Amino acid sequence: MDTQSYLPVPPGVGKEENFFSLDDILLSHERLPCRLETKFPRLGFLEKSSDTRDIPEGTKMEMPLWVAKGLYEQKRRVLAVELPKVYREGWRTVFGADPNVVDLHKMGPYYYGLGSQMLHFDSPENPDVAQAILQTFIGRFRRIMDSSQNAYDSDTSALVERLDCLERALFREGQNGLNAFQRWEKGHAHLTASNLVINYRKRKLADMNV
Amino acid sequence: MSDCQSDHSDENEDVITPAELIVKLEEAWLNEKFSPELLEHKSEIVECVMEQIGHMEENLQRAKKGDIKANIHRMEIDRIRFVLNSYLRSRLQKIEKFFPHILEKEKSREEGDPSFLTAEESVFAREYLANTESYMNKVALKHMPPNLQHMDMLKAVPKPCLDTFVFLNVKERQENILVEHETDDQREYVVDLERGSQHLMCYRTIAPLVASGAVKLM
Amino acid sequence: MDPSEVEFLAEKEMVKIIPNFSLDKVYLIGGDLGPFNPGLPVEVPVWLALNLKQRQKCRIVPPEWMDVEKLEEIREQERKEDTFTPIPSPYYMELTKLLLNHAADNIPKADEIRTLVKDIWDTRIAKLRLSIDSFINQQEAHAKLDNLTLMEINTTRSFLLDSLNCMYKLRTNVQPSTAAEKTMDY
Repeated sequence: MDTQSYLPVPPGVGKEENFFSLDDILLSHERLPCRLETKFPRLGFLEKSSDTRDIPEGTKMEMPLWVAKGLYEQKRRVLAVELPKVYREGWRTVFGADPNVVDLHKMGPYYYGLGSQMLHFDSPENPDVAQAILQTFIGRFRRIMDSSQNAYDSDTSALVERLDCLERALFREGQNGLNAFQRWEKGHAHLTASNLVINYRKRKLADMNV
Repeated sequence: MSDCQSDHSDENEDVITPAELIVKLEEAWLNEKFSPELLEHKSEIVECVMEQIGHMEENLQRAKKGDIKANIHRMEIDRIRFVLNSYLRSRLQKIEKFFPHILEKEKSREEGDPSFLTAEESVFAREYLANTESYMNKVALKHMPPNLQHMDMLKAVPKPCLDTFVFLNVKERQENILVEHETDDQREYVVDLERGSQHLMCYRTIAPLVASGAVKLM
Repeated sequence: MDPSEVEFLAEKEMVKIIPNFSLDKVYLIGGDLGPFNPGLPVEVPVWLALNLKQRQKCRIVPPEWMDVEKLEEIREQERKEDTFTPIPSPYYMELTKLLLNHAADNIPKADEIRTLVKDIWDTRIAKLRLSIDSFINQQEAHAKLDNLTLMEINTTRSFLLDSLNCMYKLRTNVQPSTAAEKTMDY
């Protein structure tokens, strides 16, 4: 067994994907449909629906990405991972027709990240999956850019509702750039004290009131 | 002034004017701000600028209050100090972000190769590593089973991503700069960079040009 | 980069002032200024011009291009062409804001100028968005961006760079040979 305190989760596609990234941790908990290709001895207690000692070969169960990745090996058939629906051919056709109509938050919310991770598991469909998520990103890009650049100081929840987590991060980045510029243009661009300093002052004030 | 030597002894410009020095500082500042990785330190420039400011401030102590000339000098000093602080701070931020990799790079440096860190930055980076490790240990790792108490910082902290895109302005003309390697459906993609032109491209391919000063980031 | 830092860089641009005081040459670290004689035009950096103006020690002469007729011409040109036209100052936006906010009384037709510059900016930003979209669409790896100013770049910098980085990561998925090298990066 590895003596490290963690199994490094190689990157998704987020901005700062890493061991400490919350998005990456959440992504690694996404559940995947799997089929056991071998018997899992004495792990029957994990399967609530049966009371056998072992989990028999051929059992279908859902596993989080990090478990599936840890157990998966190309040479020794331990388990087969099925492609989640949103990456299968049916949905790929929908995305191909018009990627903008899909609610990627409901279908994801880690559509791009999980899709990239799925490529770790051998499948003849992998090249098509990789191509589909790239084209989806490109196809949806214009709308994300335009909406993020035209929404100064207004409620944006409706705009981001149907965006995948990665797209939301991009949307926020677009808003930040726009807002910073418009604040500067209106003359409110004075550097502001960081939240930390403000909170500290408040705390000091509270202390004095005691 | 004459005691300010240029940082490249192989070039024929041994003496640079204070004005050129300020230009170099600003360039170092913007390059550091926009490059994804920590660049080689420019302590010669920093020290010369500090010296200039020191001289000036000494002279200003003799100035009368409300002297318009002294006022102008003080404003200039404030502006230079801003750039200097921002430059040094952006380096510290990168050290905090990439400390294990920066220290690793320092370790594998050949004898005689220039260091990327100043002596002070090097102390800062090592202390930052030690503090992070002892913090992780105190709050989490020591509560883990013994075989899981080790943590490899090189794996836990992401490396700087050199494939990121940057904006750049060309100072010296360059030919045949590689944009993309040859692939199955595409021949090698190269461009010429004309002096004064501006480009958006991958940092990895032009990193040596930033280091040599042939291009500047913007 | 914060827009105020871009403005800071713009403040180094030289502008002509007409002082109402006299002063010998000033030997600044960044270069010599002056001498200053009442009524005689002299070039100084914008940061100093604005300071002197605020203390009512000078009148600022607007840059040549800060003129309704010239700006109208630039605006038409900018609307006509698909590419970014050469702009008279790499800091046109910042200088307009600084001079109009602090020395409007020295600039004829200040309001018209403000509107014109804003029009030019909007036209250029719309072009920038178009080129960003086609850049992503074509999965380009290099763009020549002559005449684009720092403030324009800065407004979309993080958005554009993050988007490009995402697109490139998704693209390496499609080319497994390079993806193998890439994953070693982490």
